[in-house]
Amino acid sequence: MSAHADPHDDHHGHDHPHAEIVHSGRPGYYEIMETAVRELLVERRLIGADEIRRQIEVLDSRTPALGARVVARAWVDPDFKERLLADGRTACEELGISFYDDTGLIVLENTDRVHNLIVCTLCSCYPRPVLGLPPDWYKLKPYRSRAVSEPRAVLAEFGTVIPDDVEIRVSDSTAMVRYLVLPRRPAGTEGWGEEELAALVTRDTMIGVAPVELTIAGAER
Amino acid sequence: MTQTEMLLKRLPNDIGGLDGGPIQRVEHDLEPWEKRCHALADVLDFHKILNTEEKRRGVEALGAEMVGALSYYERWIAAFANILFAKRILSPSELAAKMDEVAARWEAEPRL
Repeated sequence: MSAHADPHDDHHGHDHPHAEIVHSGRPGYYEIMETAVRELLVERRLIGADEIRRQIEVLDSRTPALGARVVARAWVDPDFKERLLADGRTACEELGISFYDDTGLIVLENTDRVHNLIVCTLCSCYPRPVLGLPPDWYKLKPYRSRAVSEPRAVLAEFGTVIPDDVEIRVSDSTAMVRYLVLPRRPAGTEGWGEEELAALVTRDTMIGVAPVELTIAGAER
Repeated sequence: MTQTEMLLKRLPNDIGGLDGGPIQRVEHDLEPWEKRCHALADVLDFHKILNTEEKRRGVEALGAEMVGALSYYERWIAAFANILFAKRILSPSELAAKMDEVAARWEAEPRL
């Protein structure tokens, strides 16, 4: 199992064969370690076996669709947007999105003058309650190291070219403070309903590596 | 900055501003054990046994070689074990014995 395609192997691409490996052979060393640590903690009654299962359900329930709902609401409701920009966590909770951890959330608004990008240079902090778990590239060295020093070049590698007269602001996440980008609403969506709008909003637009586009409606979700 | 100065000033996680090479747009669905490992971290945090900052430092304390060679959740579980040892919640010998037991159980009933 430890031979699974590893995101830290610099040489593999998108379509590596994880699935076949998962179901073959004995568990790897680190998987055995995970099982052993968990079972010892359960035996000591430091954690409950059910708690792990319930937390997996919580993790599975968190996807970028939640963040997309928040963005769409902000686009159609200026008062909500104001509350969202003032206190991201409270505004998300207002929409019924619970925060299962102690993290705060700062929402950063993209405008025609400012483009925001989020990163965690030290590790992998990410707005998990509203976006789910981060993609591997977010946790890997190239993105973490370069996003803060050459964001334009990094964005270009994602196919996103930001005009020189637009300021790029990069926000570096911490254990306690997470960020979410409020992308710009695309032109041509006047009069659209919240659900239609939310379907346009992809994970990558809320990280800040892609703009919301009409042509890729929902393609990455 | 000299090489040795760099080693002190730039611990393994402190890579902001370095040249990390081209973006690798890779993603994968977590394997079941990776998801369990993530849930374990969250549950340990809920119980105030291990917080995010300790987790990050625990990974950093593995050293550059292991940080470079292990996958994300391999680093996590190794770090958790070390932190639990340091807090005297678990001991290395009891973890080793439990790992042998888990492996033996799998050998006896493969795929369970």
